[in-house]
Amino acid sequence: MESLLSIGIALVAAPLFPGIILKVKALFAGKKGPPLLIKYYTLMKLCKKGSVYSTTTSFVFKMGPVVSLAGGIMILLFFPLGAIAPVLSFHGDVLVLFYVLATGRFFTIAAALDTGSPFQGMGAAREAFFGTLAEASIFAILILFYRMTHSLSFGEYFTGANPISLTGPAGALLLLVIVALFIVLLTENSRVPVDDPATHLELTMIHEVMVLDHSGPDLALIELGSFYKLFFYSAFLAMIVCPLNPSGGLLNLPVFYTIVVLVYMTIGLVESVMARFKMNLVPKFVLTSSILVVFAAILTMGFIK
Amino acid sequence: MNFFLLSLAIIVVGGAIPLLTFRQFVLTKCIYISVTAVGCICGLYAILSAASSPESLAWSWAWQHVFTLSFSFDSLSLFFLLPIFLICPLAAIYSFFYFERAENSLKTAVSYFFTNILIVSMALVTAASNMLAFALVWELMSISSYFLVMYDYQKEETRTAGYLYFLFAQGGALLILAAFGVIFSHNGSFDFSRVVGIPDSTKLLVFFLAFLGFGSKAGIFPLHIWLPHAHPAAPSHISAIMSGVMIKMGIYGILRMYFMLGATDIRIGQAVLILGMISGLLGVLYALGKRNIKRMLAYSSVENIGIILMGAGFGMIGVAKGNSLMAGFGFAGCLLHVLNHSIFKSLLFLGAGAVIRKTGISRNDLLGGLMKRMPITGKTFLAGSLSISGLPPFSGFVSEFLIYFAAFQGLKYNHINLLLSIIAIISLAAIGGLATFCFTKVVGIVFLGEPRSEKISLATDGGWTLTVPISLLAIACLGIGVFPAPFIELAFSGLADVSFVSQVDPQLVQTIVTNLGFASRLFLVIIFAVVLLRKSLYWRKEITAGPTWGCGFTRPTTRIQYTGASFSRSVIDFFRPFALSRESEVHLKKIFPERTRYASWVEDLAEIGMRQGLAQPLLSFLGKFRWIQHGNVQLYIGYIIVAILILLLILFI
Repeated sequence: MESLLSIGIALVAAPLFPGIILKVKALFAGKKGPPLLIKYYTLMKLCKKGSVYSTTTSFVFKMGPVVSLAGGIMILLFFPLGAIAPVLSFHGDVLVLFYVLATGRFFTIAAALDTGSPFQGMGAAREAFFGTLAEASIFAILILFYRMTHSLSFGEYFTGANPISLTGPAGALLLLVIVALFIVLLTENSRVPVDDPATHLELTMIHEVMVLDHSGPDLALIELGSFYKLFFYSAFLAMIVCPLNPSGGLLNLPVFYTIVVLVYMTIGLVESVMARFKMNLVPKFVLTSSILVVFAAILTMGFIK
Repeated sequence: MNFFLLSLAIIVVGGAIPLLTFRQFVLTKCIYISVTAVGCICGLYAILSAASSPESLAWSWAWQHVFTLSFSFDSLSLFFLLPIFLICPLAAIYSFFYFERAENSLKTAVSYFFTNILIVSMALVTAASNMLAFALVWELMSISSYFLVMYDYQKEETRTAGYLYFLFAQGGALLILAAFGVIFSHNGSFDFSRVVGIPDSTKLLVFFLAFLGFGSKAGIFPLHIWLPHAHPAAPSHISAIMSGVMIKMGIYGILRMYFMLGATDIRIGQAVLILGMISGLLGVLYALGKRNIKRMLAYSSVENIGIILMGAGFGMIGVAKGNSLMAGFGFAGCLLHVLNHSIFKSLLFLGAGAVIRKTGISRNDLLGGLMKRMPITGKTFLAGSLSISGLPPFSGFVSEFLIYFAAFQGLKYNHINLLLSIIAIISLAAIGGLATFCFTKVVGIVFLGEPRSEKISLATDGGWTLTVPISLLAIACLGIGVFPAPFIELAFSGLADVSFVSQVDPQLVQTIVTNLGFASRLFLVIIFAVVLLRKSLYWRKEITAGPTWGCGFTRPTTRIQYTGASFSRSVIDFFRPFALSRESEVHLKKIFPERTRYASWVEDLAEIGMRQGLAQPLLSFLGKFRWIQHGNVQLYIGYIIVAILILLLILFI
């Protein structure tokens, strides 16, 4: 029951947080910024509209939004938000879930190529490339967590018998993971400095250009999917930064969401103080994260016997 | 009654009939397909009925009164028989669609004959239980497949490809024979069951000799270079059989040799794992760089052989470490990937063959927009692509999951095994990512977007002889992904006769299998729910059609679409110097430049290495002895007499 309530809150609240990023960026620039609920308004607006489909496209184009949103929902079902036991969990679920996200990416890329637009092809190539590198980092993190907890599921990482914790014997290594995961978060969710969601030139976009041709409810589904994905990564980061006691139940949620808001504010801050990288620097940036984690995993030879 | 022998006899007869009736083209094709299908079904029945007691199928045959050829079965050989009898009849049905020209009827009949010889010899390879029998049927397999590659023998490139394949097949066979020779020198017996008795120090040598030999058949980097030449040259269903089934015989040989030797040296597992990683990464990288759709699929076979070897490598490390969980899951992942790869790779080859047959174009960058014109080919190709990229809920993911599971077990150790496991897991993730890259490229460039050439607009799906095989294969891809339980159990049962693996807790396997299937089905349910949500959002909405948004460019042509070369360029450059992308320079001279040309290609490190490091020095060295070969027959006979004299002298002194 608690689990269902928790996932329900997350599914409803996820679009709220990107509004925080916008607000932080606006305040940083000395502007008032859009209202916090801006993303809800956007979703509602999009859902009221119809769509224009390019005559070039086939059913694959329509599958893109659907599969990427389904992936976002699926991964949240398995994640212990605020150390509340997830709705579903089994040994090995992390492997399935990151591959489910990859299925979403497959369809997003295929949908972009389906339009036949050169710009979308360019964005698709970049997304596929950076996604591959980020995937390598993610698996490096899973390796480290396996060394620390001997488990392969989100539930066991944070609510199991041997949870991940900064104060644990190998807690110092988690500092490296936090940095690496933040880099992966920025990459996978197309944030500055990897990608700029607010840019105006198609040539410099990654994710935004891939969805140029989607409109109306389809675009709303894509947006919602990306909100869930960003929320998942932020929650993952929050749980590592501040592990909560599983016995806390629903009372954990306020603490958890405070941390999540902090993560989003950090994203906003990073976006305010940094410019995006040149395209050829991005792979090196993403690789940094996997090198950090592999380094940490090798260090475990000293910590864990 | 031995149904297995009966099925082989039917298949041989099915192959021989076309040689007699080739003048009646359509009739020949019909007879061939039905007889072959009956033979394969009979073979499947033999496997199923013998599953509980594989020994019952054994038989032996005295040959030349001196040698005994003996054949017997165990769970491993039965498992490898499955893809043979499942894929080959589908490829045979497809051949009806593929061989459409009646004037080639004799060539077609010969191709049919060798196809069935190939099927029979592959089935016998899995059954051979002494060295002589194995060497004989292995040779038969290599030679029959050589003739199949040479179908279009009038073309120069086909002959080159055939020659290259022949070299690698025979070189590999030589190494296998060398391994057998070493064994024979120790125990003086041809029997496989007595191999285990040879000294441990020799086992390593024997294994690696055989590994190289079988590796050249399986297409392990750097012995893979015949694959990307032979596959584009061969007819598509032959590519499907060769890539889907025949190269797995190399894997079978490696596994058989490993189990037969009973060697538990950990270095074997580590070497196999490392070679698997190299094959996997470089295979998918070169696949990304290739323009020809069948060549790209050939490189993707190298990648999948790499994944299969990684599973085997983890299994072997698990055996060496006494970790039954790691051993069981590693080998089970390896076997299941063998089955999965045989299904989705033949699906992709058949689909690619249909595209080439219907459009006459084999270069990715000239195709496009086929999803609307060939919907069934397109959709099944999409299913195969998802499967080969290892994405849930399709089949490739299931076997990769098992291999991941074994790999994570490896993290329990320290030092070299920990490092290897870390690198292997990250490589597996990177291979998955790059495979997604590669197959979104193929699907996106070939099937989606607008047609890049005019010939495409007339393309349509073929008749049922095309659509039925590929649809069945696509259903199998999805089916294994959504209901993995029986197939994972099948893979584990393939290992039943290998002693250490039976120690894996069946309860644990059961739990994991159930969860995996549940997750796949859950994902499908969520997708279905989102589709319903989408439908409800679009209820009574205005939907209009227009051109793709060209970012302000008002006169787009189909030629401005992104091409495969540009799509993969950034990754290829990133992996320098393992994949070297080359391009021809574009010179703009004069005030009014002439028509310019541009070409870019990716070079295969192994191919360059073999050409410059082995073939060319060998040629220039042997060229110095050319004076021996002068065309004077009398002197040639003189050479022979001198050689015999010297041999006799050596023997009698």
